[in-house]
Amino acid sequence: MSYSFMKTNDDGNVIYQRTDDDGLVRRTCLSVDHEFQAWLRANKDSLPDDIQAKIDAGELTIADAD
Amino acid sequence: MSKAAELAALIGSQTALSNRNMIINGAMKVAQRGTSSTAASYGSVDRFFYSASNLDNHAFTQTQQAVTDLAEFTNSFRITTTTAESAIAANELVYVAQKIEAQNCQQLAYGTSSAKQVTLSFYVKSSVTGTFSTNLYEVDDSRIVNSEYTISSANTWERKEITYVADQTGVIDNNNGTGFYVTWNLALGSSFKGNAATAWEAYNTDNWAGAGTYTDAVITTVNSTWEITGIQLEIGEVATPFEHEDFGTTLAKCQRYYFRQNHDTNIPYLGAGAVYRNTLAMLIMNLPVAMRAAPAAIDQSGTAAHYTAWGNESTTACSAVPTIRAGDSKTSVNVDLTFNTLNSATGTYVYRIVNTSGYLGVSAEL
Repeated sequence: MSYSFMKTNDDGNVIYQRTDDDGLVRRTCLSVDHEFQAWLRANKDSLPDDIQAKIDAGELTIADAD
Repeated sequence: MSKAAELAALIGSQTALSNRNMIINGAMKVAQRGTSSTAASYGSVDRFFYSASNLDNHAFTQTQQAVTDLAEFTNSFRITTTTAESAIAANELVYVAQKIEAQNCQQLAYGTSSAKQVTLSFYVKSSVTGTFSTNLYEVDDSRIVNSEYTISSANTWERKEITYVADQTGVIDNNNGTGFYVTWNLALGSSFKGNAATAWEAYNTDNWAGAGTYTDAVITTVNSTWEITGIQLEIGEVATPFEHEDFGTTLAKCQRYYFRQNHDTNIPYLGAGAVYRNTLAMLIMNLPVAMRAAPAAIDQSGTAAHYTAWGNESTTACSAVPTIRAGDSKTSVNVDLTFNTLNSATGTYVYRIVNTSGYLGVSAEL
């Protein structure tokens, strides 16, 4: 499974999606979601391009382990 | 000796006759996400998660397992290796854990001279015998204490009791974040072991586990199993009998962190909400328990057609899966529902789960 940027909604919230190994999106989240943050920390050296771009632009922060 | 004094002596240093257990769902009765998952993180039994970092080959299932060979208990949390990891590299780490909310740890008085020791007790069964490591990891001040236990007989329930010393230095903040992890390790790369922290000390990677010879065979052996139930963490140096609680109480405790509404043939409704425009509607879903924090994620089945809008004399299936809209409230969650075209651009619709595989899960997990 992997996460990617999904959309910015009408409220201006940035939504991320988790795509499972079978290709289905079963989870959507905000950047502060703990499971998303744990995935970011575990994969910080090989993040997908769209996620890395958000980090490089300062729009997404990898939080320290809670 | 008076009866009161006798009772006090029996209780020892325990401070509570009820609500002793800091672990939620220690009997593994609640599994809102389902009984089986092949993914890491939270997947089956509520409040317990499986972490596997940097593995190359390993595949597994985590399950809520029916128990028939241990008195008083009907369920366990089981890990089964379906593809073995060929070897454990230095940076690889596998564990099962529960994170305990910080404000529920304040009675330990950590960071003061009154800090209390805690005792962890549990039943464990594995196809693998040998020594395994455990730890408590305190998040706010990044401190750790570790210990170990030995499984002597394969495929046999064994009760273990571990007492951890008090921490008079580290402070657990009084908030809704993570107080500490309670961890059972299943595989340890060399970076994560070697330093027996029998007293609390600053976390430094190599004290995630001690200096013992710990087996990784659950992870490196296909079809191996490790399962656990009856977990209790309580103040004091004595493990008391497991404190059973009614299912409803445990479920409500779990729903503070995760809530799932499944399809119900009789009442398939998720809730009501307004149409934003004829391709987008917003569901306001009220939650049965105030969550730990405003929800930050929702889960669903992955199939848009499992969800519909009902109103204005028609039913319209979603054209995309429901998505979280905002995390503003601990008692409700806003969900976006997308359609090719609703038959109205205004008004209120009722939103439904119309397939038995459908569900909507709301997460405020630690």
